[in-house]
Amino acid sequence: MRKGKLNFWSFFWPILAMTYFFVPLYGTLDFSLRMKKGVISLLAYQTVLADPQFIESFQYSVVMGIVSVTLSILLFVPTVYWIYLKVPKARPFVEIVSILPFIIPTIVFVFGLIRTFSRPPFLLTLTPFKTDILMAAGYIILSMPYMFRAIDVGMRSIDVKTLTEAGQSLGANWLQILFTIIIPNLRIAILSGALIAFATVLGEMILGDFLVRPAFGAYLVLVGRSKAYEPAALSIISYALTWIMLGAIQVFAKGSSSQSQLLGRG
Amino acid sequence: MSYLNLKNIYKTFSSNVAVDDFSLDIAQGEFISFLGPSGCGKTTTLRMVAGFEYPTAGSIALLGNEITNLPPNKRNIGMVFQSYALFPNMTVAENIGFGLKVSNTNTIEIKARVTEALSLIHMQDLGGRYPGQLSGGQQQRVALARALAIKPKVLLLDEPLSALDAKIRLELRLEIRRIQKQLNMTTIYVTHDQEEALTLSDRIVVMNQGRVEQVDTPSRIYNYPSTEFVASFVGHINIFPVSVIDGGEGIVDLSGNKIRSRKHMQEGAIPVHMAVRPEELTPGHREGANNLTGNIHSVQYLGSVVRIQIDVSGNFLSMDLFNQRDLSIPMVGDRFDVNFSSDSCWLL
Amino acid sequence: MQQSVKNKSAIRWWFWLIRNPWLGLLPFFLFIIAFLILPSLNLFVGAFKDQQGQFTFANVGIIQNPYIQKSFRVSFQVSITTSIIGTLFGFLVAYAITLGNAPRWMRNILMSFSGLAANFGGVPLAFAYIATLGRTGFVTYLLKQVCFTNSKGQVCPFDLYQNGFNLYSMVGLVLAYTYFLLPLMVLTIAPAIEGMKKDWREACENLGGSTAQYWLYVGIPILWPSILASFILLFSSAFGAFATAQALTGGSIYLVPIVIGQQIRGDVMNNPNEGYALALLMVIVMGVAIALYTWLQKRTAKWVAL
Ligand SMILES: Nc1ncnc2c1ncn2[C@@H]1O[C@H](COP(=O)(O)OP(=O)(O)O)[C@@H](O)[C@H]1O
Ligand SMILES: [Mg+2]
Repeated sequence: MRKGKLNFWSFFWPILAMTYFFVPLYGTLDFSLRMKKGVISLLAYQTVLADPQFIESFQYSVVMGIVSVTLSILLFVPTVYWIYLKVPKARPFVEIVSILPFIIPTIVFVFGLIRTFSRPPFLLTLTPFKTDILMAAGYIILSMPYMFRAIDVGMRSIDVKTLTEAGQSLGANWLQILFTIIIPNLRIAILSGALIAFATVLGEMILGDFLVRPAFGAYLVLVGRSKAYEPAALSIISYALTWIMLGAIQVFAKGSSSQSQLLGRG
Repeated sequence: MSYLNLKNIYKTFSSNVAVDDFSLDIAQGEFISFLGPSGCGKTTTLRMVAGFEYPTAGSIALLGNEITNLPPNKRNIGMVFQSYALFPNMTVAENIGFGLKVSNTNTIEIKARVTEALSLIHMQDLGGRYPGQLSGGQQQRVALARALAIKPKVLLLDEPLSALDAKIRLELRLEIRRIQKQLNMTTIYVTHDQEEALTLSDRIVVMNQGRVEQVDTPSRIYNYPSTEFVASFVGHINIFPVSVIDGGEGIVDLSGNKIRSRKHMQEGAIPVHMAVRPEELTPGHREGANNLTGNIHSVQYLGSVVRIQIDVSGNFLSMDLFNQRDLSIPMVGDRFDVNFSSDSCWLL
Repeated sequence: MQQSVKNKSAIRWWFWLIRNPWLGLLPFFLFIIAFLILPSLNLFVGAFKDQQGQFTFANVGIIQNPYIQKSFRVSFQVSITTSIIGTLFGFLVAYAITLGNAPRWMRNILMSFSGLAANFGGVPLAFAYIATLGRTGFVTYLLKQVCFTNSKGQVCPFDLYQNGFNLYSMVGLVLAYTYFLLPLMVLTIAPAIEGMKKDWREACENLGGSTAQYWLYVGIPILWPSILASFILLFSSAFGAFATAQALTGGSIYLVPIVIGQQIRGDVMNNPNEGYALALLMVIVMGVAIALYTWLQKRTAKWVAL
């Protein structure tokens, strides 16, 4: 129950926090509109959107995002399903493995990836295509904590074992059970996991930068080094993209308890 | 002068009236139950006594001192919550001693009082445990000991047993009454379980929609309910619409049967219902009693009791028989005679 | 005929899998071993080898290298400062919007915005800060306009860069990190604060306790594991952050991740094995932090489960 008393501090801290959130946002927006001296214009945005490198890197990241998210779903959904069905004992262990990317900082992970796969016997960094395989694997690993959590939460909210047994008793085979019972019940969880993973790929800069692939993150680094107003415009665009992605998750996950978020990425 | 006095208490939440003109006098050492359906305002009334809510109008006095607007931590009234509300970061002993600690009692005294309280609830050996390591029943006993350790002037319990399972509930019920008698503690006990209220209380306050329906001893509440609500809420009862033949003599007509009831009506009042409890009915025909005949409609085993429904010209009359070994049970459809004395039947 | 043979072998394969259910996790483990365990082990084993491939503890000696020591010191300074700020500030905000009397709309804005801001790290965040607090940034410009004339001539007390402020410094890093750590704190601690039962507070008052006594004996003791856990989460998030720092300061502040980044690009340490040792040390710090975090979470879960 709330006491009706109005308290100064209860307003002070939230307002201070909102200021802290909104001032840089507003500052960036304002800055991004001032590329043309003395007038407000969208020139910075026009320049960015017309930049072939922007288009190339954005396309590259979207394609990489779709590929790695698809692979990630194909890998994790059957795995988590199998854990719930047959080897529940493995769950704590797999859970720990799935948060390893939090313990191993991205920069260290990328360090290990490069030092391992750029050398014999793998030599995966010699051609762009081989490097892209490495990139996709890296993205799958980096988004694994979110993907695993989303699917795990979804799986826990339905009684996998009973549903499967019911399906079997009605004569369904395993593929039918997976595709007509389990996945339809998990689609919200899978979708929110996929969106989070996709957002991770779009925002990830270390992999693309160090593996020298034209990823969106790497493009941002590049622009940041050489331009003044475009980075602000790109920052606003990124902000909008994150917002759309999270908004989509909230819309899809409405009413379901699968609440997984990307947190604290620096 | 009464010990605890509630006078014309009203409580409204925005436009919703939760408690409507509640008045009650409680004597020292008395065990009072608030009984009523969920949402009837029992908790709200109790919380006003504790000081967690303040009445919209009316006053509360303890030992003649007005406490209506005193903050809860200045009242010295102990409360036991439905959810136990034990502090999870403290051991049982620390929980029990908490009230003494915040009032700066010295540690030796606290230790003595905690030991005393622990033995009161027969948990001497569990003082070092954390609440998470206790069963629900044990937790609620600790909550009781914690409330009693501050030697409160009044003890309040809000459905303290409703989160426990049936067996523990029965056990703890007796224990609460034992401790209350031992300490001669003035107690208000909120429940929606009539059995609890009937077994525990000195007096019961039956509430409905924020209003007091009846305040009386358990036996009078059961045998002489003053309103239709009380009659039907407490225990099982047969209630039928009737037409009056002789108001002064209490004679009515039930679907063509002449019934004599104990309640002689006031001049001009128009009763519309007669009431009789199922256990007052006996099989067979008896001279001088009210006799009815009908067909057996259903037979239900309720364990120690068998409840038989008889269709008397469209009125379904329930009769309870003790389930003795030699009880001969009629078959559905049988013709059946029942009788009940005019004393056991009243008009509403 | 062929169909049934194929079926038969499929069934046999299936029964084999049912009898050895762990094998169903094989694809997952193969992937993890190839792309997570192997690269990590490669680093960690490398940390204990000299350049001839012989086993040695010598690389761990880099901890005595003043350059490395400095990077750890700076990393700890930045991470701890920003986590303390984030923890305190975030707790107060979370308290105000849960148990406090902040209006509903503030709560809604802050909660959904926290979800967004906690995800807004990396390069775009650095850009935003440069556009806001950089030399020509929006806020810098606004503050610079606040001038008045006194006996000594024109004074501009809020001219940040005249007064020693520099965004491309540790202060700038702390400001930027707080942008995603503050909402992270709000998101993680708000449920814990909301989990504080109203009954506890009432039971305390009922037993004669004041508000201060409630917080001293009940509120803080129950919340501190959650607060500490959140602090550790914030710390590890800050400690591992690379992109924001790199983009904001161009690598001019020697944080541990920045040094590792330089090592990846060009073996600045002359000895690759020392680079591996540095990575190992960083993982150890993170591992300890996450282990502590998990332990504290379990501890609070036990209480909340009551
Ligand atoms: N804090 C509150 N705000 C608004 N309405 C309330 C509040 N507390 C109780 N009520 C309302 O008052 C009525 C009585 O509630 P309560 O005293 O809890 O009933 P009981 O304990 O008898 O079940 C209910 O209609 C309930 O909805
Ligand atoms: Mg109630």
